[in-house]
Amino acid sequence: MAEGLKKKGTVKSLSSLFPPEETQKASERVRDTIAERHEELQQLKSFISDNTNLVNLVRTLPNELNHQIMVPFGKAAFFPGQLIHTNEFMVLLGDGYYAERTSKQTVEILKRRGNILESQVESLKADIQDLKTEASFFENEAGRKDLVEIVEDYEEESSLQEVSKAGDSKADFASSTEAESKGTGNEGDEYARIFSRIAELEKEEEEAEKDEDDEDEENEDDIDHSVNQDSVDQESISCGVDGSKLLPVYQDGSSQDGTPASSKPRFTESSIKPPVRKENVRAPAVTKEEVFVRTSEPSTNSSKAFTGSIVEHTRNLETNPREPSVAHSSKPVSRFRMNRK
Amino acid sequence: MSSSSTLRELQRDLENKANDLSKLQKDVAKNHQLRKKCTIQLGENELVLKELELLKEDANVYKLIGPILVKQDLAEARANVRKRIEYISAELKRLDAILQDLEDEQRSKQETVLKLQQRVQSLQAGKGKAQ
Repeated sequence: MAEGLKKKGTVKSLSSLFPPEETQKASERVRDTIAERHEELQQLKSFISDNTNLVNLVRTLPNELNHQIMVPFGKAAFFPGQLIHTNEFMVLLGDGYYAERTSKQTVEILKRRGNILESQVESLKADIQDLKTEASFFENEAGRKDLVEIVEDYEEESSLQEVSKAGDSKADFASSTEAESKGTGNEGDEYARIFSRIAELEKEEEEAEKDEDDEDEENEDDIDHSVNQDSVDQESISCGVDGSKLLPVYQDGSSQDGTPASSKPRFTESSIKPPVRKENVRAPAVTKEEVFVRTSEPSTNSSKAFTGSIVEHTRNLETNPREPSVAHSSKPVSRFRMNRK
Repeated sequence: MSSSSTLRELQRDLENKANDLSKLQKDVAKNHQLRKKCTIQLGENELVLKELELLKEDANVYKLIGPILVKQDLAEARANVRKRIEYISAELKRLDAILQDLEDEQRSKQETVLKLQQRVQSLQAGKGKAQ
């Protein structure tokens, strides 16, 4: 899960894989909460209708001097009776307090209560909306194999330079670990990582841009999408074809049990673009195509992507620091852990 | 030999820590519930106070005590409700503090458990390799 880059040990690119069961669990939990909220909403709505019924009743009662009614007596019996004093109500204000009120005053109290209920309904609806977006994340994004999760130490920014100098040999390795990391995750974390990573890479990207203009053009879109949470789907679509094929490959890659197919492309890729150090972090280079897209993303430091990342950047930085705690274990250890999972 | 014993020890340690953690989590959940109750009560009392403030001075106010309605002075009722709100707010604050502490503790425990887990796993991995 963790990878200490050989360079100085100060730089670690940490990536973690959230197993599909976890995502499933998470989405289930979110869905459960949504169901719960819906129940609450239903309850509130029934309260509201009760309230309006009561308002109507209270309003009409004083229309007559008295009403002929059946008075409940015990559980099962009724006897005929009369309602008198039809304009006097004993209203429960809550917590055991009652007040004597006229019909009109009672209606006012009831209306105030109705307003409170309405506001509760509104907040509940907003809540449900939020949860739905969360659920859609788990369903659409978290399970996808073509998204990378990038976890890094906060300090990396300073040490980044070293890494970029460090060069390609590590790149292969890093990219392979990256492959493991892709996929599921906390939405917040994932995006935070991606964004912060992008931001960190900006300097380098400018460099890289020079080298790889052609690729940039192709992949500009990708960056934009990844930057924008809502549009991540589209990104996936673009790589989706590869992704489906790649599934098995990824697994191999993650375990790193010598999968020639997956590893070869990686190497080639890395060798192709030595200057672009970002690919390690960014790219789950599994197939050539995949690698291609991924690697180019970072380099696509087109102004568009740039600005996008800036917007989110600060937020990411905040969330980032807690990542390091996940692990800085040496590579072999991380592999074991992966296997175990 | 020694490695296996340390491994066992670690596992036992991990188990203990995990138990502590789950206990803490239960505590936290309980406190959350209490807090929720308090919040609800606070809301209700604020509602009552609002309504009481809206009443005219000559209105008759009763308090339900057991099975009977006891007539109360309006001013007195207001004072009572206000005091109650104060009390509940204080209670809420207290609960918040407790909850904060508990959650901090929980977080640190979680970390230790995680670390232990990693150690156990790495040990196991090392053993597996050796064999």
